Amino acid sequence: MVAIRVENLTKYFRKGKNVIKAVDHVTFRVSDGVAFGILGPSGHGKTTFLRLIAGLEVPTDGYIYFDDELVSAPNRVVVEPERRNVAMVFQNWALYPNMTVYDNIAFPLKMAKMSKHEIDKRVREIAEELELTRVLNHYPKELSGGQQQRTALARALVKNPKVLLLDEPFSNLDAALRDSARALVRRIQRERKLTTIIVSHDPADIFSIADIAGVIINGKFAQVGNPSDIYSKPATTIIAALSGDVNLMSAKVIEENAVIANLKIPLPVSEKEVGDEAIIGIRPDEMKLLIEMAQGIQGFVNVGKVKVKVSSYSLGVFRVVVSPVADESIELVAVSDEPIQPGTEAYLYVRKDRIKVFAKDGRLIA
Amino acid sequence: MNSRYIIKVIKYALLQLVVAIFVVLWLIPLYAMLIGGFKTNMAAASTPIFRPPSQISTEAYYFDWFGFGTLIGLEYPMMRQLLITVPVALTSVILGGMGAYYFYVEMERRPWVSNLGFSIISLAAFLPAQTLTIPIIELTSSLGIYQTYWGLAFAYFVFYLPMSALLMSMFLPVVPKYLLESARLDGARDWATFWHVVFPIVLPGFLSTLIFVFLMVWQDFFIPLIIATKPSLYMLPVAARQYVGGYAILYNRSFAAGVITSAIPLVIFAFLGRYFIRGLAALGGGAKGV
Amino acid sequence: MSRQALVMAIPTFIFGGVLVFFLFWNLIISFQNWSLFNPIPSFVGFETYAYLFTRNFFYASLQHTVIFTLGLIAIGDVLGLLLAALLYFIPSNIQRSIYLSIFIYPLAVPPTASALVWLWLFNPQIGIDWILSSLHLPTIPWLVTPTTTYIALVIVEVWAYTGLAVLFYLAAFLSVDRSVIEAARLDGATGMRLLFRILLPNSMSGFIVATALLFLFSFRIFDIPFIMSGSATSPTLMTLVTYIYYLYAYAENFSAAAALATLVAVIAAAVIIPYALLGLKRWVFRK
Repeated sequence: MVAIRVENLTKYFRKGKNVIKAVDHVTFRVSDGVAFGILGPSGHGKTTFLRLIAGLEVPTDGYIYFDDELVSAPNRVVVEPERRNVAMVFQNWALYPNMTVYDNIAFPLKMAKMSKHEIDKRVREIAEELELTRVLNHYPKELSGGQQQRTALARALVKNPKVLLLDEPFSNLDAALRDSARALVRRIQRERKLTTIIVSHDPADIFSIADIAGVIINGKFAQVGNPSDIYSKPATTIIAALSGDVNLMSAKVIEENAVIANLKIPLPVSEKEVGDEAIIGIRPDEMKLLIEMAQGIQGFVNVGKVKVKVSSYSLGVFRVVVSPVADESIELVAVSDEPIQPGTEAYLYVRKDRIKVFAKDGRLIA
Repeated sequence: MNSRYIIKVIKYALLQLVVAIFVVLWLIPLYAMLIGGFKTNMAAASTPIFRPPSQISTEAYYFDWFGFGTLIGLEYPMMRQLLITVPVALTSVILGGMGAYYFYVEMERRPWVSNLGFSIISLAAFLPAQTLTIPIIELTSSLGIYQTYWGLAFAYFVFYLPMSALLMSMFLPVVPKYLLESARLDGARDWATFWHVVFPIVLPGFLSTLIFVFLMVWQDFFIPLIIATKPSLYMLPVAARQYVGGYAILYNRSFAAGVITSAIPLVIFAFLGRYFIRGLAALGGGAKGV
Repeated sequence: MSRQALVMAIPTFIFGGVLVFFLFWNLIISFQNWSLFNPIPSFVGFETYAYLFTRNFFYASLQHTVIFTLGLIAIGDVLGLLLAALLYFIPSNIQRSIYLSIFIYPLAVPPTASALVWLWLFNPQIGIDWILSSLHLPTIPWLVTPTTTYIALVIVEVWAYTGLAVLFYLAAFLSVDRSVIEAARLDGATGMRLLFRILLPNSMSGFIVATALLFLFSFRIFDIPFIMSGSATSPTLMTLVTYIYYLYAYAENFSAAAALATLVAVIAAAVIIPYALLGLKRWVFRK
């Protein structure tokens, strides 16, 4: 269990004449036992950051410390990956195809020259914890996706690493398996109080596992904080989109309301702070669709009438695409408890405290 | 009957026929060599090459194997050839494979070094050995290994070790880099990674390289020609040359010598030809799918 | 960063280094006048090269090498393409592999054995000529006149190395995406049209590899002309590389041998290095 400290960490890649700033002067700290999530679009530096921590990449500039020990310095890997006691679960799990599950898991222990007896004990322990006992003699290609992933996890954990790094660990799994996989990782992380960094473009991964999250855009952390804070108060429209589904709509500011076609959304702050135009962000789960006007739902405000365009189903909820009745070219995605026929008109209710107001340049105002 | 169908059948038959003709042409030398070696001396003196023998005789083989007078028999050269070729091929491919591994893991960062290295091993693979005649002889003489097995092995290594590295370089990319990284994080250093992770995955490529290099070393005529010139050291290709023809050599003896020289390579090709072809294809940059 | 891989690669470095060392050593000797008559060599600049350029054998061997190499490339490329096309249309995979093996097996046969066999095949009484005369066709005086001798060697080369071209053209054909072929088939293209419109345009890679390798294998061919010319004693089959051996073993003019060797190495390198860097390396290091 170790605290990771990163100072001014920078990694540039040269591709012909172009310089790509994968990680751009990042200073950061992950405390002992904390699970830190890195969210961001592909190609913006998440994986590079992870690889720098693992020692698989050499920093162009900056320092990395494990507790107080310097492990990476500018143009120098001070402590090699083999000796950092870091475990990494790759996106495609990187299982050794010519070894059985048992041998895969045992491999790091074998490299550490542990006794056969001790290796056997540890492998079987972790196999049981991750429900792999029955497949210990199988080869990776004979396993299901979930089993492969748990094998990769077992191999990572069996050597009692100081740090656990996860690179998009669930993206190769069927959607249905992801929730149980996330729960498993969270449980393991909490139980072992393992300093963990998880990298993903899927906000669900971050929310389920991370204590603190950072959003990386162009090699820099654009926002760092509690995952739920990032979700409800994203610093920019881009971060709002990265951290979950969100409807972003251009609105005109008229008398304390943001107006989008026939929809009137009350501003949580004074009109003066906002200006003439704004971008309103509301997430699908922050809305409700009601066919008949209700008396008043606690915390929600009726913003206007919409017409249903398409109704579909995904992961246990009904996603409904609606348009303001006055302008069918604008589309919003909302969530509903029941399927609603296309063409039906309904009232859109929005959570008052979740209305996000962004300036035209994308920055959050409220 | 459908006329289109008939045309299709004719086309197919034509295809098979034309291919068959070429196939037969290609097999002619092999055919001649095989049946010729089993003819009696009388038959060799009087019948054309292509007529099958009326009686099978091994007297040509007997003659070639034990030699006669100043003609060195092929028995000892054959044994020497086996004794040298197997370890040389095996060593070349293993050491060359390690060299290829180094290229694979280290050379992305320093392009000019990898270009240089790659050029050198390609030169070694394709340069005619005759261009280095004098340096090879001079060096092996000064080292005192001229006219010895060590000298032979040294000369073979100059060409075939880099060639092995070249071929293994073509096969190594089948091991994804992330597996190597995973092994590093698991605490494995290069030696362990090479044997536990890389080698099992690249085994087919290793076999292809091994078989290709074995056959190339086996048929190498020039290096034994210049290094093992003493009759007591004759290697197989050089010894077989004595049976070319001319006085006292009838063609059954020439062909028997040919068979003795080619027996092992052809058997290997018959059973493991797939690997040889893949090794050959690697020289062309992979040629996948064949 | 100390890597065990570096240590593991040392043998490769050593022998690669030896190769380069030998090339330079050759170069140095070529600037001397070392021979049986000059056992203690001295530096003479380009004199040895000038001497080499006055020798008839040099021009003869150069001419022969050009003939044999161009002959093999021209015939090998065309024949290889034709055979690859024929093999491509054979429906049975097993049959195709077997036939391909038959075109390639000459590469596994020690050239010594091939030379032995072909010499007899070119015998005017009992070899190929016997078949020709049985069919009442005119016989060819192989190995008697220079022209027929050249033809004979080119025939042997074609038999030995066309398999290379077949292999690489076939590989190029087979690598054309199945969906492209199927789309073409649905559009009604079969046989010749498929060959010319779809397969050929996509086999540039096959052409480059086949031609480069045919050149390199032909350029370095030693055993067969050596043996068929009675151990380099007959000038008709003398090629650049057999001339190197001749200079070393018979004329014992070591500097001349080194000079010729340097020239040959330069020509070979001019093909090998671009081929290696553009063709092979790209394959290895692409991500």
